[in-house]
Formats: sequence, C-alpha cells, structure tokens
Amino acid sequence: MPLRRALAAVLLGVMATALPPPADASRTIFESGFDEAPEGPYSRAEAARFLTQATFGPTLASIEALYRQGYNAWFSEQFAAPPSLQLPFLDQLLLAGQEQVWQDKRQEIWWRNVLTGPDQLRQRMAFALSQILVVSDQNGALEGNPTTLAHYYDQLVQHAFGNYRTLLEVVTLHPAMGHYLSMFKNRKPDPAQNIRPDENFAREIMQLFSVGLWWLHPDGTLVDGNPAQPGVQPIPTYGQETIRGFAHVFTGWNYSTCEPPVAPEGAPQFNWWSWTWCPAGPQGQDWRLQPGWRTPMKPWGEGTPFGDIYHAVAGSKQLLNYPGVTLPGGVLGPGGTARGNLGIALDNVFHHPNVGPFIARRLIQRFTTSNPSPAYVGRVAAVFANDGQGVRGNLKAVVRAILMDPEARRPELAPSHFGKLREPLLRMTQMFRALDARSRDGRIREGWPEYHGAQAVLRSPTVFNFFLPDYALPGEIAQSGLVAPEFQIATDPYIIRMHNFTWGRISWAWWGNPGLGSWDPLQVDLNREMAIAHDPERLLERLSLLFMSRRMPPAMFDLLLVHLRDMTVQNQGGEENWRRRRVQDALWLILSSPQYLVEK
Amino acid sequence: MRRSDRREFLRQALHGLVGSAAFGSVFGKLFLAQNAVAGQRTLLGTDYRALVCIFLEGGNDAFNTVLPRDPATHAQYAQTRSFLAVPLGSVVPINPISGPLNGGTWGLHLDLSGVAELFEQGRAAIVANVGPLVRPTNKQLYNQRGHPLPPQLFSHSDQTVVWQTPRADTRTRLGWGGRLADIFHATNPNQVLSMNVSLAGENVFQAGEVVLPYFVSPDGVERISAIATSQPNCGPANDWRRRRCLTFRALLDLPHAHVFERAYADLTRRAMATSEQVLAALEAFPRNDPAYRPFWERASLPWNPDNLATLPSLSAQLLMIVRLIRARSMLGMVRQLFYARLGGFDTHGDQLNQHPPLLSQFSQAVRAFQEVLDNLGLAQLVTTFTASEFGRTLTVNSSGTDHGWGGHHFVFGGAVRGRRIYGRMPSLVAQNNPDDAGWGQIIPTLSVDQYAATLAKWFGLSDADRDLMFPNLIHMSGPILAIPGPDLGFLNPP
Repeated sequence: MPLRRALAAVLLGVMATALPPPADASRTIFESGFDEAPEGPYSRAEAARFLTQATFGPTLASIEALYRQGYNAWFSEQFAAPPSLQLPFLDQLLLAGQEQVWQDKRQEIWWRNVLTGPDQLRQRMAFALSQILVVSDQNGALEGNPTTLAHYYDQLVQHAFGNYRTLLEVVTLHPAMGHYLSMFKNRKPDPAQNIRPDENFAREIMQLFSVGLWWLHPDGTLVDGNPAQPGVQPIPTYGQETIRGFAHVFTGWNYSTCEPPVAPEGAPQFNWWSWTWCPAGPQGQDWRLQPGWRTPMKPWGEGTPFGDIYHAVAGSKQLLNYPGVTLPGGVLGPGGTARGNLGIALDNVFHHPNVGPFIARRLIQRFTTSNPSPAYVGRVAAVFANDGQGVRGNLKAVVRAILMDPEARRPELAPSHFGKLREPLLRMTQMFRALDARSRDGRIREGWPEYHGAQAVLRSPTVFNFFLPDYALPGEIAQSGLVAPEFQIATDPYIIRMHNFTWGRISWAWWGNPGLGSWDPLQVDLNREMAIAHDPERLLERLSLLFMSRRMPPAMFDLLLVHLRDMTVQNQGGEENWRRRRVQDALWLILSSPQYLVEK
Repeated sequence: MRRSDRREFLRQALHGLVGSAAFGSVFGKLFLAQNAVAGQRTLLGTDYRALVCIFLEGGNDAFNTVLPRDPATHAQYAQTRSFLAVPLGSVVPINPISGPLNGGTWGLHLDLSGVAELFEQGRAAIVANVGPLVRPTNKQLYNQRGHPLPPQLFSHSDQTVVWQTPRADTRTRLGWGGRLADIFHATNPNQVLSMNVSLAGENVFQAGEVVLPYFVSPDGVERISAIATSQPNCGPANDWRRRRCLTFRALLDLPHAHVFERAYADLTRRAMATSEQVLAALEAFPRNDPAYRPFWERASLPWNPDNLATLPSLSAQLLMIVRLIRARSMLGMVRQLFYARLGGFDTHGDQLNQHPPLLSQFSQAVRAFQEVLDNLGLAQLVTTFTASEFGRTLTVNSSGTDHGWGGHHFVFGGAVRGRRIYGRMPSLVAQNNPDDAGWGQIIPTLSVDQYAATLAKWFGLSDADRDLMFPNLIHMSGPILAIPGPDLGFLNPP
C-alpha cells in the first residue's frame, strides 16, 4: 500500500474512534488538509465504478492500478498517454494490398484501440464526441471511404483534451463533414440561376454542435420567455435569418487539392471546372489515399489575385446575437475572406453562453448519467466557461469535471435515477475487456456490430445520432419527467439480439474451444474465472466487481448462488465442463439482467 | 400538452374501454397505474382495419415528386428549379378524375411509374401541400408577429415530431398513431401484442401514452438462444436451458429500485411474450409464399424468398407487414397501425443522383404491396399513407434543396377515393411567390391535423375523440386552407 494511502487509512481509523464523522468527512478533511490529497478511490469497487464511466470497461488489472495510484495520478497518466489512431492501420493495409479495405476495417481498428489502447479516457472522450459531432458511413459520399472517416475520428482523438473552439474548426473544415452536411462546394448566391447557399451545415452546427434550439440558463435549464404563463415558454436561440447568415459564411470551400483559378470569374479564361471537377488527389491514385480527403478544406482561390471566388461577400450576415456578443448585433459586415469570416463566425458560435451547458449536458449523458441535476450541469458548464486559468472550452478540464463531480463520484449524493442504460457498444467492450478477449491471429472481425445492437462507431442513421438526448421511453420514465436516450434503440429485436450476442460469445467463442475450427473471432478467456468456479461465492464476488462495481443486489447474488450451486460435476458433464458452464451461466445471467444493464 | 392535460385526456379517452383483459397484459400495470376507472370493455369494431405509415425520412422533395405537365407551369417550374428540373418530356402523365382546386395538368417523376399506375387504377390519391399548422397561415400571417406557428420550423428533429403528433404547437413526443392505440388497444382480443408494429425502430408516430409499439425486424423474429423459449413458465423442456431460463426470469422479476431497471425488465418480458406469438404466426404465413412474388418482380429482381437481403429495404418491410396482416386472426388483432421507413431524403447535395433511386424504391415497393393486398382480398382493410418531416425548398442550392415546410403526400388502398388530387397546388414561380414563406419554404394549404384526422376517422375514431386528440382541428377552417374542416374526403366511409 502506498504511503499516503496507508496514512489516510490510519487517520480515518483514528477519526472513526474519536468522533463519528459524517459520511463524507474523509473527503472534506483530506481535500483541505494535505498537499497530496488522497482523493480516492477508497475501494476497488469505487475504482471499478469510475473505470466503467471513464473507460471502455474495467479489468482486474486496471482496477488494481487505479486503486493504488489514485484519481489524480490516473488522470495525469491518461492525459499524457499517446493517442491511438486509426488511419495508420488502414493506410498500412491499403499499401500492403493484401486485403479489401472497407468500413469493417475501420471498425477493426476502433475495436483494437478501445479494447487495448492505453489512452482509454481519450478514446472514451472521442467516442462521446463522435456521438455529438456526428458523421456517418450511412451516406452516399462516405460509405466507400473508410479512410476519411478514420481520419475524422483521429481528429476527435487528437483534440479530445484540447479546446472546443479548435475542435469546432477542425470538424467544420474536415472533408468528411463537408460531404456529410454539404458545406463542401457550397457556393455564394447565384440569382441568375436561382441558387442560394446550402443551409445544412449552418443549421446543424448551431442546433447540434454548439448552442441548441432554445435559450438555456447556465445550468442547462430552459429560460422561460413568459413567466406569467403557466409552464415554460422556451425562447428560440436563433431564427431563419441567422441560418441564412451562417449559410453565406460557409461558402467557397473545396478540397485543398484544387487547381487554383487562373482568371477572375466571368473572364474567358476562367477555369470554373477546376472548382466543379476538383480532384482530391493525383489522377489514378486510390481515393482512399488521396490527400484531399484527409486535409482541411480550403477556399478556392485563396492566395490568388482573384480571391475566394465562390465565397459570399456581398451583403452583411446575421450571426448569433447574445449579451456580450463581439459583433454589433451579431451582424458580420460585407467583405472579408472565406477563412477570415469562418473564424469570426466560429468565434461567434463558441462564445454564445449556451455552448457550455449544452455541451456539458451531452457529454455528461455519454459518461455518467442520462439525467444530471441542473447543479451538475451547471458545475461542468462553469468549467467549460473557465477552466480556472481563464480559458474557455478546455475539454481536458471539462471531462475531469464530469467524472470527478460529487454527483458522479458519490452515489449517496446522487438522485435515485442516477445512471443510464448501457449502450450496446459499451456492453460489448466491457465484456471483451473484462474477459481479455482476443483472436488467435490478432485481428478483430467485428465489422458490423449494428446487427446486434443498432450501434457502430460513425455509423449512425442520421446526424441525430443513434438516439436523441431527450428521448423519453413512454410509460414510467416519461411520466417521471426523465429522459433515457439509450432506450430509443432498445427495441424488441435488439434486446433479443444483444442477449444472443452475449451468449454466442460466452457459450461458443471462448478461448481454446476446439469447436471453433478455423473460425477466429474475438474469443473471451474463461480460464481465470474457471479456476475459482468451485467457489461460486468467490466467482460471483469477482464478476460483481468487474461488471457491477460490487453493487449487485443481495437478492440477485443469492439467486445466482443457488443457480450455480445447482450445477454439479455430475449434471454438467465432468469437471472441466462443470467449471466452464458455471462461469458461462454466471456471466450470461449477469450480463443480461436489468440490474447490470442499468449502469448506476 | 401539459402532462396533467394528457392524463386527463387519456382518462377520458380510456374511460369505459379498459377491461379486465388488459390487466393481465404487460401493459396491465400501466393501465392500472394510470386508470383506476375500469368500466365495461367496449369493442370499437370487429372488422379489421390497418393503417400503414411510410415515413420518407429526411424531407422528401415534393416539388420534384408531383410535377406540372402543362407547358406554361412547367416553364415556371424549370426556371425556379434550375439544374434540378425534370424535363417536360420525362414527366409521367396521370389523368385525375378531379384535379387540384386551382387546376393545371400534372404528372409524376419518371421514377414513380408504379405510383402512377396505382393512381390510374383509382388505388392512389395525391394530397397537395400538406404540412404542420397551428392555425391556417398565409404569407401575411406568417410575417405577422404573434401568429401561432409550429415550433422550430425547418428543423429535422422537431418537424419529425410535429408532423407525427396530433397537434403542431408542441414538441411532445406522442404520435397520433400512439394516441389512437391508447384508445383502440383494448379493442384487440390479444392484449399482449401491441397493436402498433414498427418495422423501422422507434418512431414518434406510434409513441402513445400507454401503448408502446412492438418492434419487429423485416427478416423475422428471434428467440433468446440461451434459454431457447420465451414462454412464461420457461416451457416444458427438461434440459439445463430451462433452469437457466427460470433464473433469468427470476432476475427480471426481482423488485427493481431504479426506474430504468423496471422499464427494461418490462421491455424484456414483453419481447419474450410477443416473440413466441409472432414466431408462430409467421410460421403459418411463410415468406416463400408465391403470393409475395410481386415484391421481387416489381423491383425487377428474380424471386428469391430465401434471401431477403436481395430485396430493397422498404419492400422487405412491407412484405413483413403483409404477413402480419394475414396472421391477424391468429394474432388476435382487429385494429393495427404499422410503421415503415425509407431514409435518405435529406437531399441538400447531389440531389440529381440521390433522389431518383429513392423515389424508384418507394414506387416499386408500394406498387407491389398494393398488388399483393389486392390479390389477397385485403385492399379494403388496409390504407397506406406517406409522411415526411417537411417538403423541401422550392428554390435550390448549388446541388440540392434545403429544408422546407409543405409537401405533397400519397394515400393508397381500396378505401381511398383515388385518382384524385386533393387540395391546391402552390405557385412554382421563383420571384414574389405568394406561397413562399421566405426562401423557398412553401406554406402548407392543408394541415397535417386534417390529413391525420381523415385517416383516423376511417380507422374508427369518433368525432368526439377526434376533437380531443387534435385540439387545433377546430381552427382548420376558412378560405386560407384549400379544403376546410376535419375531413379531406380522400377516404370512403368504412
């Protein structure tokens, strides 16, 4: 036991005998009293619970490590861990030329990184961001292009602990987003042809990526436009004029690889085709390797005497208007460059007071609970507004605030509905990680997880993600005024398929099963648990720690204990089968129980 | 609607409808919790009727769906639509018995030939320029401060809700199909299987206060393999799977402290109970019945019932719907609402390549669906209709169209007063268009409430319940609307 932890234990013991402290005394005393506060976790169970929220699933080793090092050291280690990326793997496969490289290979490298990467928190943050800043391979322009999506995901990974303003710009200018929300090749108005700028990205960057539709208080609750009326009358954050303003700002961008214009628009030599048929790379090059798909978009004409040909400069643009806005009235005047105006517009979005509470709530929902209290949202939003060093949008500080918030760390302070339905991909990763799943040749063939769980990374059906942040299952949940996003995809077929996915892995795809033949899926390793299967109480204790942070209800524990005791060497076909089947039954019954599936 | 209002509405709507049969179902608890009043169970009808909603997700471009065919209007259209305009020679002609109120000669996109055939046969009608309205609205009222408008017009997520709910002034996620089910559910002899069946996952249309849809995949129903059976007593099997099943069920049935656990346990119990029933029904009506050949033939595919993956998504969804409708007696269904979805209509970019294949898939699928229903003598029992979160802008961007408001819709079936265009076509001019709310978003001249109430009336909804369910319907009158009143007239009385 490290010294500081031993010291803490001794002090706690002394206090406990001297005067019974309130339940939270240990925290408050140590936070104010010692240089290096032993901030917890105070038990392996607490460590497991934290790792369930912050990683792709605890393992016995990661629980032990966190328990020994404490949260602060863990965060330092995670913030310093080098990012695990996707694109190098796909490029390597493409250049080797030995196999097909489609979206399933992008899924493969996602699995590998989240199952075995040391940068767990970074990967978990990128996963959360990928469900907010959505692009998807369910799109005609992107389905055949796994590398641009891998590159996009890598940007989320790289900027996971960076600044949200920077990330917004990276996302805005990414060719994958350009194609997904059609800012790519968006053009200034052409009255002669009745063409006006595309409003797609303009609308969604505000509605989904930053401010949302309604004015929010700093704690994320709706501002009431008319307190005299019963109920809350929400106030729209922007109108159609603002969408048009942003649509004009987001014009003039194309691949970074276009031939520049050689003459002004309208001149006889004007090469409009260099815009229209701009290639993403050299002729004949595999599009999956082309630089245009993996470098930020560029204004066509930038740096030439002819300027940003297709950027809308005539007329002023209504952007967001809010107290303290830099632009007078939120209006951007005529002129400027595509890049300059884009920077001004993104600043205008980023500094809107809604961004903190809006993004805070969405991130909290991805990490800890579907229904954070306004106070929790407010605390995280305050960190978004100012990380303590005067910096706005510091995601490193934000993710730490989300995970270390009293509501997240101390169940006794949280409301009784704290928690969320585990999303299918996190169920899968938790099982694979806890049971050290691996294949014989090291490859991962899990390219289509949406068949089982209606979820696969960057494969949402629309820009609205797999589920809506405000989805409320009809019945008791909706009537309690709660939301439950993940329930939106917990439909009959997927409830059953997820149970079958789990059972298929546990009952069949286990490490060492000779019945697998040449099939080489991810195989869960049951040996470690089989070694203690003769002692069902110990087995259940361990599984309860790994999967339920030791919070398995006693009645559930007892039911499972009876079940396992009823399994004998005689009725299970010999010693080895008996051990394995006890582990299999225990695992499946836990992993398909409501008690496990609602993470609390 | 505030929650207390909804409860009150539901209490009224359900009064006298909830009988003892409901209490044995998985919904029983919900009924019980919400409705202490358990009167005599009244059947609302014993003749089978089903509504099928086909949701065109993303906002279908109605103005490249129904097209002008007289040269003068087409010239206006071509000028406004620029590079997106379908040439006059490619418009598929239709010959309505009665056209839109403002006249003109109309046709369909060349990829809608199947829909055109149904129209000519009198099996299809077009309802022109429908959209969410809180009150009748024209350009002047639209620009008038304080005139009530649907919240967050032109936003996907919000208009998806508003389009499918029975009132356009809230974003409450309760669909008019769900509300119908809240009322009609008790009519079905089977109180375990939901009367709302979705082939395309969670949706607003079918979300009720108490009735959740049953979700089924187009390729069928699976059992939980670890326990082999979904029967409540874990079945007669005597192997270890029965023992596992008993423990699995015991864990489900433990008292749950967390509201999400209770909800999830309910969902799982329901999935298990219904999967047994639906499996049995589908075995009685197998997919390889030659009656379903049109689904392949209309899509120009060889008949291959063993491989559903060969069938386009919408066809596969509609095929499963026919099988379930045929199994209605086995399943104990008298009233049903189905939901199917075709996605990809959000054609901001590359519309010339993206939109036509979607229309084609839609047309082939509904053409086959109607043909199969006709052949099986089910045409009078089933009415199919389209919905979509909005029409698209009449004006264009550099490669597509943006979020609009009003749009044209189709209704199919034997009960449809077909071969007619209902309502009024909006102006197609680019400049100073009197129907244009701003930048090409066309103001609807029929409200979704009218459209839905017409369908609901055919389904059996009483006028009194209708006025409770669609509270803004009483305002849908006067000269601004193409057709005033609660019934647009496109369905024959049952």
